[in-house]
Amino acid sequence: MERHQNSVTRTPLNSVVVQRRSKSKSYRLSYRSCLGATSRLCFTPALTARRLNTSRRAPKSHNITEKVNPEKLALLVKTEWQLSYVSPLYQFRHTQLKSYSRQLSAFIAAEKQQGLAVEVEGPQKTFRVSFSLVQGMAESDDDAETVLIQIHSKPLFARQDEPQRPVWSGWLTCINGNPDYLRSLPKDFICLPLFGSSGAEALTTLVKSWFQQFFDCCFGPLEISHTCLQWLMALWTNCHTESSIQHLKMIWTLPVVPPLQVTYTVNSEDAWELWSSVRKEKEKENKAGEMAKDEEENSIDIEEVTGFMQGLKSHFYRHFRLDLSAGSLDQVSTALGSAKYKGRIKISNSRYMITTLTLLTECALLKMPI
Amino acid sequence: MDTSNKRLIQRLMSRIPIKMLRTTLGKWGRLTEVQLKSMNLTQSKWALTEKLIAICEENELEVKHLTELEMIYIIDNPNQGMWHTFQLMDPEDDAQSVELTQFKEQFKSHIRELVRQVSVKMKKHTDEAVWIRIAWGDAFSRPNHLKPTYVVHHLQTPYVFVTSLTAKQKPLLSQALVLSTRHQAIKDANLSGRKLTAIRDLMMRQYQQVFPTKYPSPLTEHNPTVSNPHIGREQAEPAANRLQMACEAFGGGMLPQLQSAVYKLETKFRDQTNKTMTEREEPFKCVVKFASTNLLESLRNCASSGIASTPVTPLLSSIPLKGRNYFVITDNGPGPSSKTDQPQN
Repeated sequence: MERHQNSVTRTPLNSVVVQRRSKSKSYRLSYRSCLGATSRLCFTPALTARRLNTSRRAPKSHNITEKVNPEKLALLVKTEWQLSYVSPLYQFRHTQLKSYSRQLSAFIAAEKQQGLAVEVEGPQKTFRVSFSLVQGMAESDDDAETVLIQIHSKPLFARQDEPQRPVWSGWLTCINGNPDYLRSLPKDFICLPLFGSSGAEALTTLVKSWFQQFFDCCFGPLEISHTCLQWLMALWTNCHTESSIQHLKMIWTLPVVPPLQVTYTVNSEDAWELWSSVRKEKEKENKAGEMAKDEEENSIDIEEVTGFMQGLKSHFYRHFRLDLSAGSLDQVSTALGSAKYKGRIKISNSRYMITTLTLLTECALLKMPI
Repeated sequence: MDTSNKRLIQRLMSRIPIKMLRTTLGKWGRLTEVQLKSMNLTQSKWALTEKLIAICEENELEVKHLTELEMIYIIDNPNQGMWHTFQLMDPEDDAQSVELTQFKEQFKSHIRELVRQVSVKMKKHTDEAVWIRIAWGDAFSRPNHLKPTYVVHHLQTPYVFVTSLTAKQKPLLSQALVLSTRHQAIKDANLSGRKLTAIRDLMMRQYQQVFPTKYPSPLTEHNPTVSNPHIGREQAEPAANRLQMACEAFGGGMLPQLQSAVYKLETKFRDQTNKTMTEREEPFKCVVKFASTNLLESLRNCASSGIASTPVTPLLSSIPLKGRNYFVITDNGPGPSSKTDQPQN
């Protein structure tokens, strides 16, 4: 396949031409079938379940500050983002960002005129939108470059010379997306399945409707499933030796009347010891297996993740005779970041951002409507 | 009226909600009928505050009168802020005979000896509780009435409930309490919460308790939800047993509204399936916090619904049994008074 090696803004070209024969039959690979086929990243044999990869590479800290503009990076970390998934965008061009900025500003102004936008602090506000690229985050050749959107505005009663401040931020990204799926998309479709937003809900709705109108896509809420939260717990704990997690905190809710919230905070050293003991046990089991040693060290299986969680739950049960499985895990947090079931993520340390976003991209791709 | 008094009134007015204003001012009794009627409760808080300041100036009220108002409000609405429980230890021989006047005199004189500038107000409430309001000053400044400490002590019991006490003030208060109640020491009872009534009821076991019975439980489920009669029949006895044990552990009927319980666990990790961790010498350190709008109700529900295995573990049943909600659990068993029982294996 031909690739433009040197272009600054990269819109991945798909040389795979897909023909739609009829409405009912589509030759384009659905994400489901990509999981069934042998994919480099996936070990799942079954075609039935749509689920996350059962095995993934252990996160290495990425010196991401070398690849990505540190100012842009600073905008992404330490903020809590609300996540959504987005279906592929039709005719989105990374070269048209300036034009998109103008169009979205005009759209917001028009919607406010019509009175559709719910009260966003006063009638006099003008919003200025800026689309920008966050280069260097894409991991594979198939990933589209991350796009950052900011909406600036002057606060009410601001002086003339006071600069506008960002009142809303959002981004679209695809990190280590499943290559089979990405390559199977028809020409003109760009896949940036993960959308994060922070700021007034009214503005988020406006941005989403603009995207929906202009790029014929659809948005949906992305919950961070229980499995995904467990993965994040394990992946973050795995990083402890490189950068301390400081603590591993889980928040569970038990369905009793009135609802009971359990906050289970584990000391970082102890969490790390438990995690590595679970990995060692797995290693012993694999000794007879075919995997090469470094590949083994590098990959983490879902069984290790669930084993880790099981250990934590059993320690809890031993003391309180309360089974946490009866409840739901709402939040997981460490010094590296926090994730909430209702789809909120905060990445506190840029070194592990790529790993976290890879996992979330996978979650978003699982939600693709087709 | 000087600024500090004005600030005190402003502070009070911001705390007292408008709907409580008339009753509180009425109880205070320092306003004439006319003045009381002139407080138009449909006005804004700010306007009412200005009105009250004007009336107080008119009546030439002083700090001691204003603090009365605050005390009246707090006594009627004690379920705010964070209350901590203390327990008096080792009573002297004459501790039982300490009665109200003696306690009041002794406390005031001791605290004045310890703190040069202090303002103490004591009031006996109808239910045998003595309320103490302390405004602390020091060698250089007059008592600060904006950050008073409130203390509630039930005479003849060793319990003391305190709110808004700083670390520096704690030893002074402790000393004054110990001397005036004729005890030798005072310790932290590890029970805290927002609702004074709840922690008081818990501490003094003033709620419906359920005792073990050999016979089928006289308690009935309040909302029996039986969708399938077969399941209902099969589960009837285990459900009744669970309910009985849940109520034995936590109590029947209405339970005191505790909001949270914290357990600091420093026990070893023991799991048959994980040899590495089981062989480890160091304890597995973690902190577990349970939180709910009514913690005891939630825990009782956990036990009766089967989410918590019955019989209820002593760790959880210690909350009502021992009247505390902060525990440090180690493998060594009961050590110094802040630690509690061994976990079940």
